[in-house]
Amino acid sequence: MSVPGSTETTEAVARARAGDAESWGQIYREMGPAIFRFCRRALPTREDAEDATMEIFSKLWEGKLSQYDETRSFSAWLYRVAANHCWDILRRRKIRQDKETDDVENVPLEHPDPSQLDRMIEQKTSEEVRHALQKLGARARMALVLRYYSDMSYDEIADALGVRRAFVGVVLLRARHELRQALEGKSALAAGGTS
Amino acid sequence: MAHGDHLDEMTCLLYAERQLDRARAQAVSAHTENCAECRTLLRALDRESRLLTRAMLEEDEPLPSRIAEFQERARKSFGWIWGVVFGLAATGVYALYTIVVEPAQLRLEQAGFGGTSLLSLLVFQGAFWKGWQSVITLLEVLAMLTVAGFGVAVFRRRLRRGSALALVLAGLCAAMALPTTAGAMEFHKTQGTYELLKDETVKNDLLVTCSRARIDGTVEGDLYLFAQSADISGHIKGDVILFVQSARVTGQVDGNIRAATNNLTITGTVARNVLSLNEVLNLDSAGKVDGSLTSTGESVGIDGKVGRDLMVFGDHTTISGAVGGGVRVKGNNLSIVSTAEVAGPIHYEGENPATVSSGAKLASPVEYTKRVPKSEYTQGHYYLWRVIWTAAFVLLGMVLILLLPKFAEEAVRAGERVGAPLGLGLLVVPAVPIACLIACITVVGIPLGVLTFGLWFLGLFTAEIVVGAVVGNWILGRAADTWGLIGRMAMGFVLVRIAYTPLEHVHVIGFLVGLGILMWGMGAMSLAVYNRLQPKVAMVGAVQPA
Repeated sequence: MSVPGSTETTEAVARARAGDAESWGQIYREMGPAIFRFCRRALPTREDAEDATMEIFSKLWEGKLSQYDETRSFSAWLYRVAANHCWDILRRRKIRQDKETDDVENVPLEHPDPSQLDRMIEQKTSEEVRHALQKLGARARMALVLRYYSDMSYDEIADALGVRRAFVGVVLLRARHELRQALEGKSALAAGGTS
Repeated sequence: MAHGDHLDEMTCLLYAERQLDRARAQAVSAHTENCAECRTLLRALDRESRLLTRAMLEEDEPLPSRIAEFQERARKSFGWIWGVVFGLAATGVYALYTIVVEPAQLRLEQAGFGGTSLLSLLVFQGAFWKGWQSVITLLEVLAMLTVAGFGVAVFRRRLRRGSALALVLAGLCAAMALPTTAGAMEFHKTQGTYELLKDETVKNDLLVTCSRARIDGTVEGDLYLFAQSADISGHIKGDVILFVQSARVTGQVDGNIRAATNNLTITGTVARNVLSLNEVLNLDSAGKVDGSLTSTGESVGIDGKVGRDLMVFGDHTTISGAVGGGVRVKGNNLSIVSTAEVAGPIHYEGENPATVSSGAKLASPVEYTKRVPKSEYTQGHYYLWRVIWTAAFVLLGMVLILLLPKFAEEAVRAGERVGAPLGLGLLVVPAVPIACLIACITVVGIPLGVLTFGLWFLGLFTAEIVVGAVVGNWILGRAADTWGLIGRMAMGFVLVRIAYTPLEHVHVIGFLVGLGILMWGMGAMSLAVYNRLQPKVAMVGAVQPA
């Protein structure tokens, strides 16, 4: 499994920071599609994802790039910027609900039937998973995208979602439960957008 | 941790994602060795993770055209900004060229300056720094830096910054050196009197620094004189360049005379042209200039013959000799006495009408334009020029920041301290040219002196830019990147200009504010250079040899 945008872009970033338009173009060519797909998974509609992608790169161009610490992974930093941006969009639209934060600590830890779960996972296709993802609540979807698309650590996810690190596992588990319910055709537990 | 006899799903997920501490992970591992159900759950969670990743990474739909076009739009937008900047600069340069440079160049050529190299322009006309001459030199410096910056920007992708800088410096050196006439130069330096005897001949160019010079012999090349007084009665086959308090030319000069003097008297023959900045110039009745004569000074007297045009910027001009071409005079008074003969048209612009004797032989009457003292502020073009110059300086600042982003940042940071750069500027502004002069006088130090003087000279232009950047940083906060610094510099520079313009013509205050800006900026740059020259002890100590 390869992480999108993991190609070394440090030199291009350094040149872009010095004002080199070609390097800026190189960064966009390399990371633009990956960031669009990130936004596409995290936000309710395709149009939202397009707008968000352009806004993120506009931010970079207008000076955000200067905040990047060159000793760290550029793609990880960029995903973090994208996550914050998408999260802000969801918050502005009231899609991100504060109630979800309260629920985190009270999530029931069920013990599913392992064989049944294993069979269900085996039967589902990628397309069905993508379709089900669109039915999830904003934070559940964002948590899964941060973890399984951007390959972020639990610390980074905690920072991006604004929850304590200890509850990242709970958020992810609850998101999986929502996903399973969506895959089985049941209604999602939390409110969320639809594509 | 356990759910009945089995592990709960949370624990399994954290184990699968390697989020458990060592002890708990070992306990889970030990349990799953004997528990098939928990092993199945772990496998299911792992498959779920992989399914999620696969589903998200798959490119299920094409990239929207908006996204694909965004980069192109951004690139075009960037090009638009550059287009505006260079368009503005091109307009400024074009306006300067057509309005100022071209006519001035024409006059310079008429005065015999067609083949002057950049080196001689910078070094030997440095003392001529006043009036319209300054415009030409400044434009050359600006144009040179702009072209150099553009060149570096073009080659930047292929060259490291150090190489690019070396290329630019080499190019500048070549530009300075190439047009210079080939040939050796003979140097003489003495505290007292230098004398070239009548039967002596110098085969090369001759450069003399002394208290008093007497040139009775022959110089086959050019003669450069730095002295308190000079008497040239010999034969100079090249040009004569004079930086002399009082000079008298009674001999023959086959080339041009270019002089910065208090008093210059010509009683000999000059085969080509004379250009002189002086207090008093006298072309004696026995004196003859075959070419044109151009002079600025308090008093200019033309008793002898001028073969071609006469151009004077001076307070009092008296013509009693013959002028083969036209006469153009700007000043307070013009007297044309009865013995005068002028073959061409006479244009005179001054405060008082010309006094023309009835016996004077003139090809045409004096064309007089009364000069009315007028405040610059009431003239529209004053503001237009202020805008053009501001744009040109912003462009210069941008080029310099792009060329030397680190140094620019350091200089601006040093400038933020105000007190230290002002103090250092107070020292550097007057001391550096003196040091350069001393270096040049020692002859051996000429390259170092000229180079340092060039940097100092450049610093004079860039001081206000540095101050502008400091002001911009104060207002908008410290810039995080190069373009941020450029934006702050542009804004700050414009603000400084707006604030300074009304003060500029208030004599003492305007002078002090201008001097303060100059010293502040120069001091900031000097401080940045000083900081760079400091040995970095901590770094050296920290790095261990491999």
